[in-house]
Amino acid sequence: MAIADAGSSSQRALRPRRLRLDLTTPTLLGLPLAWLGVFFLVPIAIVAAYSFDVYSLDPGPHGFTLTAWHDFLHSSVYLALFWKSVKLSLTVSAIIVVLAYPLAYYLALSGTKRKYILLLLLIAPFLTSYLLRVLAWKVILGNQGVVNTFLFWTGLRSPDHPLSQLLYSRFAVMLVLGYIWLPFVALPIFVSLESLDRRLLEAASDLGASRLQAFRRVTLPLSLPGVVAAFLFVFIPTLGEFVTPSLVGGTSGYLYGNQIVDLFGTGFPDWETGSVLAIFLLGVVAVLTVVFARFLQPRQVVAD
Amino acid sequence: MDKQEDMERRLSREQLLKVAAAAGGASLLGGRVDAAHAALDWLNADSGRLQVLDWAGYGNDGGQAMFAQYVKAHPKNKPQFTYMGNESDALAKIHAGLKPDLFRPYVGWVKYFAKSGLVQPWDPKQISNFKHLNPFMVKAGQYKGKQYGIPDDWGFDAILYRSDKVHPKARSWGLLFDERYKGRIAWFDDLNMLTIAGLYLGFDKPWRQTDAQLKKSQKLLKSKKHLVRLIWSSETNLWEAFGSGEVWIAYAWPNDWVQMKKKLKVVYMRPREKPVAWVGMFMLLKGTKRPHLAHAYVNAWSAARSGKWLEDNYGYGHANTLARPSSSDLLKALRLTDPRAVTEPNAHLDRDIPRRALYARMWEEVKAS
Repeated sequence: MAIADAGSSSQRALRPRRLRLDLTTPTLLGLPLAWLGVFFLVPIAIVAAYSFDVYSLDPGPHGFTLTAWHDFLHSSVYLALFWKSVKLSLTVSAIIVVLAYPLAYYLALSGTKRKYILLLLLIAPFLTSYLLRVLAWKVILGNQGVVNTFLFWTGLRSPDHPLSQLLYSRFAVMLVLGYIWLPFVALPIFVSLESLDRRLLEAASDLGASRLQAFRRVTLPLSLPGVVAAFLFVFIPTLGEFVTPSLVGGTSGYLYGNQIVDLFGTGFPDWETGSVLAIFLLGVVAVLTVVFARFLQPRQVVAD
Repeated sequence: MDKQEDMERRLSREQLLKVAAAAGGASLLGGRVDAAHAALDWLNADSGRLQVLDWAGYGNDGGQAMFAQYVKAHPKNKPQFTYMGNESDALAKIHAGLKPDLFRPYVGWVKYFAKSGLVQPWDPKQISNFKHLNPFMVKAGQYKGKQYGIPDDWGFDAILYRSDKVHPKARSWGLLFDERYKGRIAWFDDLNMLTIAGLYLGFDKPWRQTDAQLKKSQKLLKSKKHLVRLIWSSETNLWEAFGSGEVWIAYAWPNDWVQMKKKLKVVYMRPREKPVAWVGMFMLLKGTKRPHLAHAYVNAWSAARSGKWLEDNYGYGHANTLARPSSSDLLKALRLTDPRAVTEPNAHLDRDIPRRALYARMWEEVKAS
């Protein structure tokens, strides 16, 4: 009897809980998904419609056509510019991953008590505006900037011959992008290293592995998902970047993102071609994300 | 049993989301333009303020003296500004739903906008200062006998260079393509660069280049782009680069010369192929709800006092022939005493480019190359 009572009371308790689950889960999931649909998928669909001339800026007659896509895919200029941007983004991403890894490694594994203070210092630049951080580099890299003034002071350069390729160049774009995105790279690597099971390192040591071998066989493979995530965090946004190139890039730092902006606004409005460029970029990024996502699965550590 | 229930619940959630996404998407796709227009109408009607689409520096960000007379007469209808980067930007904004009462393209765009159906002619009788405006510029603002553009500010596209660093071989647009000054040259981010290239190459109609001529102009620009440090799109961008010594030679406007000569040894050179003259043209949007206020605003801009202020402070000319600057240098540089300063034989008055979209695409290709 007592058992039966307990059973019926637990059923009573379950009923309202299940009801609440049914209502809350769709609501909780529905809101962000609706947000994503309305502010992400629908705008992309509209941009895609512009690329096929289904929508047009010109009030004249228009309809579905693949002309802009055909012109784009047969244009050596746009594809070359895209490739230039890909190369630049790949270089920036690879360099800062290599630079950020030791930093994240030190923060996560050195056992320093100040690691969270150091982490805070690392992300401190985020407290200022993105634009301000980019513009600050103009003060540093310009003809009369900090670097050149130092060179004049040391006598390595004369004021008549400053190092002028520091600013308005591809180098300037890469440097500033690297600086801006470094914390984004360090953080995922830091997280993956910090969650590493230290006992695995101890086991490796007990089994006779040197520190380098333990790093190569244990630490590095287990932190790879963080490294890949970090790489993607930089590569994807820098591929479509246009603010930094327009501020410090000059003629040689002009990138694919700048072309999209110009086609939509500052040039004679050509939203059809602009949309093609934007959708193409989106497609490439989506494919790359899927490919890289495979590497995000934690790898097993297998002893030989 | 539990698994089956779970599956059913998941399916129903997915279906629900699909329906919600589809409904949201459809309603957005179907009604986006109308809804945006209705919202903008409501905002405009509610404010009752004159809506002006103008260039940076001509609104409440420094140009207040130009329309002070209007504000004094209409304190309850002060102008509200939206800024345009250039005419293309204005066109994109208007197409996207912005509804200004008036805006300011330059003379080369008068025909384009007049034909576009986006604008309506002015009534010059409502502009008391109209009779003082330069007749050549007034004529340039007409299309099919109607006054679509009211001329106001004007100036030249010419070459600004540092006289302590640069020694031109000739007074020519060729200075923008001079190999000796690699990395010290700034071009302007506009399809007009193809027109300039056409002028330099000696084409008789740079605004109406044939396909072959356009290819030659584009080839010239592409082949000389490696000399160019900066393609500027805002004057502050140019001033910063020129002022700090990054750039010594630039495609520039009179105001750039006025600003740079304050601290550098500079020359504003009129090339032998002649400079290109531009004239700002106020245009009235079709269907504006505030046509009288728009006329009053343009009348304020057209006053001689406003003109003098513009010349003194911005270094641009003004269409009011009674306006005279305090500086004799400027008077000479802009040839302000000559009513034909902006037209032949002194300069090429900028004009309509019938194949503007093609020019634009070719200029974008130059930048992307």
